[in-house]
Amino acid sequence: MKLAQKYNRVNLYTSLLILLLSGAVYYFAIHYILTEKLDHDLKIEEEEIIAYAGKYNRLPLSSDYKDQIVSYQLLTKGASRERYYSHNLYYKSNNKGLEPGRSLITTLKIAGDIYRVSITKSSLEAEDLVRLIFLITFSIIIVLLLSLMVINRFLLNSLWRPFYEMLKQLKAFNVADNKEFSAQPTQIEEFQELNQSVLVMAKQARHDYKELKSFTDNASHEMMTPLAVINSKLDTLIQTETLSDKQGELIEDIYLAVSRLSRLNQSLLLLAKIENRLIEDEETIELGALIILKIRQFNELLQANGIEVILQLERKELYISKYLADILLNNLISNAIRHNVDQGKITIELNEEKLSICNTGSQDALDGVRAFERFYKDASSEGTGLGLAITRQICNLYNFKLSYLYISPQHIFRVEF
Amino acid sequence: MKILLIEDEQALRESIITYFTEEGSICETAGDYPSAVAKINLYHYDCIVLDLTLPGGDGMEVLRRLKELHKNDGVLIISARHSLDDKLSGLNLGADDYLVKPFHLSELKARVMAIVRRKSFDGNNLIVFNEVSIDSLAMKARVGENILNLTRKEYDLLIYFIANQNKVITKSALAEHLWGDEMDLSDHFDFIYTHIKNLRKKLLEAGCTDYIKSMYGVGYKFGA
Repeated sequence: MKLAQKYNRVNLYTSLLILLLSGAVYYFAIHYILTEKLDHDLKIEEEEIIAYAGKYNRLPLSSDYKDQIVSYQLLTKGASRERYYSHNLYYKSNNKGLEPGRSLITTLKIAGDIYRVSITKSSLEAEDLVRLIFLITFSIIIVLLLSLMVINRFLLNSLWRPFYEMLKQLKAFNVADNKEFSAQPTQIEEFQELNQSVLVMAKQARHDYKELKSFTDNASHEMMTPLAVINSKLDTLIQTETLSDKQGELIEDIYLAVSRLSRLNQSLLLLAKIENRLIEDEETIELGALIILKIRQFNELLQANGIEVILQLERKELYISKYLADILLNNLISNAIRHNVDQGKITIELNEEKLSICNTGSQDALDGVRAFERFYKDASSEGTGLGLAITRQICNLYNFKLSYLYISPQHIFRVEF
Repeated sequence: MKILLIEDEQALRESIITYFTEEGSICETAGDYPSAVAKINLYHYDCIVLDLTLPGGDGMEVLRRLKELHKNDGVLIISARHSLDDKLSGLNLGADDYLVKPFHLSELKARVMAIVRRKSFDGNNLIVFNEVSIDSLAMKARVGENILNLTRKEYDLLIYFIANQNKVITKSALAEHLWGDEMDLSDHFDFIYTHIKNLRKKLLEAGCTDYIKSMYGVGYKFGA
């Protein structure tokens, strides 16, 4: 639920409740006041009747005029005295129908006879007044609620605009790119503070990221020199005349470890470079020709493993860094060779939409999600575990879609352009 | 052959000097930027092996200085930076080749030899090792009067061997030289053996002495 929506809802509910309550209180208060006034009038009338009876020792005439009816009724002897007010409906003399009224019923004793005196006054005017007041109150409620809603919708929206602007930019925030935040100027202190904090935070995040990046970069570079030293010392060591075959084997293992370490290092550097979009030698490349070239380069390796290559290539031009295209194909094709079986098969299909490289291999499918993660390797793999991560990074850079699927007995890597 | 090695890492410097001087080349060294500039101002070298990260200055500056002096020394950049930009700007500044650390000494030697060969103005395209001679322009190899019919890989292999004569060359150095280092071949050295076997057979058939020896399983040695 949006903040404005939530706020609106609470606001509307409480205003409605308060207005309804106050309407009710208002209604009853007015009703009470008007009834009091009527009762007061009735009492004066009663006093007049009592005064008249006291003076003349008889009842005044029943009357029925204006909005007032006075009537008497002789009660049986010994009837109890009573006095009360009541709301009722009564017939007006002009027979226009029932009308609401307020009556005072009281008893009067004249010369030993007890009469019930009933004085009724019309409360129609009072009722009308109450109704009018109620209507006015009700319309005020409606107008108030409507204006609240309108205010909330438009004012809140414009008030919160800087916030939503900032939110939009935060969503698009990427530590790796250098797009600056553009804070909307705002008069509202909280938002000024928010903008300020976000700007500072983004700057800090970018700074830290950059630091970390250059640290990785430097670390990898610094590692290259000792590796070069190890390699050169090994090269010098094997020139020694007195090495035995056993020592030779040991040295070869060191060579392999060093070359693996340096390849790992180079892969990490390359990954960082692609992520930072530092490779910008794009040109138009005919991918089919490059694939044929690659297959020729891998020829000895393919022959050594007895792997048959089937090419189904159509012309496909891509605007891509030649260096990265090279690495992309290198990784995919060398994987297809490395994870193949003896006398296996590699099928490379290229058309306008996609490049797919299918190879025979182990019976088990790879984990289609984790295979592209860094340092993911299945037990049989001897690579750095970065090849596919680099491949995916290259695909991301050019908005290609890289996917893996296993359709027995083929492992298929597909790049959709 | 006179070589200037500009490299700040002493251990690496020593290995390179040992490897080069054993063959009778003169190898001078500079460990930092000022001494490097001082040397290129004074002397001429067949090839300068230049590290890009130097104490006291950038290796690229050495290249610029060399250009200002209108010197025609061959330059091979060795750098830990596997960066296309560095490579391109280095080559644009007149460097002849670019080698990324870590490298095999045999590869360095082969590249330096290639640069020196290209730079030599006396039209000396001939690489000679005893009865084996190679015309590097025509890309033809012969043993005595017998022309060798070599494949591209075998030809490259032979040149590499001669550049590193009497040295033990590792299988991985050979593999990287022939197939490039981007291809991860570390677990597939077997097929290198096939190429060497074929080259050796062709050399022997042409009446050449058997110069190729397998050394302690690590690699091969070409030499008398």
